[in-house]
Amino acid sequence: MAAPLPDVTLASPLPPPLPSLVNARRLRTQRVGRALRLWVPAGVLILILAICFLLPLVVSLPSSTKGNIIYNNEPPFSPGHILGTDVQGVDIFSQLVYGGQVAFEVGVSVTIIGIAIGGTLGVIAGYFGGWVDAVVSRVFDILIAFPALVLALVIAEGLGPSEMHTIWALSVFGIPAVGRVTRGATLTIRGLPFMTAARLAGTRGWRIITRHIVPNIAPTIVTFSLLGIGVVIILEGALDFLGYGIPAPTASWGKMIANGQQILSAQPEYVLIPSIALLITVAALNMLGDALRERWGTQ
Amino acid sequence: MTDALLEVEDLRVTFAAGGREVRAVDSVSFAVSPGATLAIIGESGSGKTVSCRAIMGLLPTGTAIGGSARLRGTELLGLSDAQLRRHRGSDLAMVFQDPARSLNPTMRIGLQITEAIRTHRKVSKAEAQTQAIELLRLVRMPAAERRFHEYPHQLSGGMRQRVMIAMALACRPKLLIADEATTALDVTTQAQIMELLLELQEELDMALIMISHDLGLAASYADEVIVMYAGKIVEQAPAAGLFGTGGAVRMRYTRALLDAIPHLERPAHTQLPVVGGRPPDPTALPSGCSFAPRCQYAEDDCRATVPALAEHAPGHRWACWHPCENGGAA
Repeated sequence: MAAPLPDVTLASPLPPPLPSLVNARRLRTQRVGRALRLWVPAGVLILILAICFLLPLVVSLPSSTKGNIIYNNEPPFSPGHILGTDVQGVDIFSQLVYGGQVAFEVGVSVTIIGIAIGGTLGVIAGYFGGWVDAVVSRVFDILIAFPALVLALVIAEGLGPSEMHTIWALSVFGIPAVGRVTRGATLTIRGLPFMTAARLAGTRGWRIITRHIVPNIAPTIVTFSLLGIGVVIILEGALDFLGYGIPAPTASWGKMIANGQQILSAQPEYVLIPSIALLITVAALNMLGDALRERWGTQ
Repeated sequence: MTDALLEVEDLRVTFAAGGREVRAVDSVSFAVSPGATLAIIGESGSGKTVSCRAIMGLLPTGTAIGGSARLRGTELLGLSDAQLRRHRGSDLAMVFQDPARSLNPTMRIGLQITEAIRTHRKVSKAEAQTQAIELLRLVRMPAAERRFHEYPHQLSGGMRQRVMIAMALACRPKLLIADEATTALDVTTQAQIMELLLELQEELDMALIMISHDLGLAASYADEVIVMYAGKIVEQAPAAGLFGTGGAVRMRYTRALLDAIPHLERPAHTQLPVVGGRPPDPTALPSGCSFAPRCQYAEDDCRATVPALAEHAPGHRWACWHPCENGGAA
């Protein structure tokens, strides 16, 4: 016989709910942080690119090469010269804009050459392996072992300074750098089961490369290329600083720093302005590369 | 057997690893009849996968492969990649263990299937697409038209494995090798995929080699079972001859494997029998029976001489000096 259930009075009301293990606010902060890490550097880069390439088309800027000596050493925010003029009276903002064009032209060209030649060789080496890989990898090793700046100096000295020569000289460094990364990424992909599955399905070599390898290594190459553009811009600045890069009268950030260096103590802004432009550009490229790497989960 | 679809004879595979030779597969012979199901069972490193990869021509270059594997009389071993391409897909196909990584993550699954179709048959893109959707229906993919346009990450593990099977079946192979095809899936999905494979096998009149470490799976689905240990076949029999009523396991290793399967009807909290020890180091195999160090019935003759694989009963071959009597059921 079942005893009637006793009346139970709870000593206390229901216990408070357990704290959620997932902190909603922290999750939101993380998501916002991730978005900021991507879009802030991307926005900065878009702004810099717009100032360098679009602004001169819309607004007529003072000459970046010729100035009036009467209006030299104007301080920043002078009428008609937003960042002032240099010793020769040349507008500093214009030099910054046209120097930025050169920096991006060289940086992007070297990276594209690096992807086209180094990337192709890297995929071939990684995919075919064996003696092909051995030969290509040794060539990369030799090229990387060359001190890039010294080699660029030799090329500029031998062929004469020009933007084209600067690009080729820096490509000697860019090609093996991209090539090595591509080869490594290809090796990783080649070992995955879907490559075997594609081979089993009877897919031919070149199709395996274009359909299965290239799309899978593309994120790695893109993130690496962004970092690469930054490195190339710095190297190009160094070449210009030494006087072996872009020939006169074209403006460049490296040359601006070199010119300003002579009167560094009197007018530090001549060195500071192009240096800050260089710093912001390279930092934005690096941060964007890192943010994309985080997002795509590439190495 | 002359009516066999695939005849493997004295297959030997040797890897050179760091100056030492590793005998991954040693004198393996078996035959598969058209439409039959063969299960190859063994622990990791027993040579089951290597045997099948050797037949498919998937082993790395520089691996020493001996013996012969004939597909309806055509020797497969030693063919070049270009020559093998004619057999892969249309005669032989394979499904792998890891469906998550066996599909290209950057390609829509439909494209991956049409690629498999179009490398073997000269058909238009539209025709290939129709065939691909038909294949997806064949592998019971729900909402095949929609799935056709999806990426692998949008599918569950079981659905990915269905896509893999669809790709393997694209050119109606005569023989499908399923290499641990259900191992990465949960038990329910595993059963669904196995049922699917068997149904398709009947529909398409295809032979199936299932590689597994799961003896229970083999018992439920295979016609014939091969048990491998350390690169050798140690027991081979029709599934009915090994399991169930009247079944008689002879080889001690098979028995140990069978005993290690957990049963619901065992009393709770009893220790699960396990196969003691570890698989032998393939670079330093013992001189006698390679299972002897782990076998509780091993005697001196086991440790001295390798027992030969011989047909002791019709259709039932085993390699053991002191086989279990009467199946040796505990």
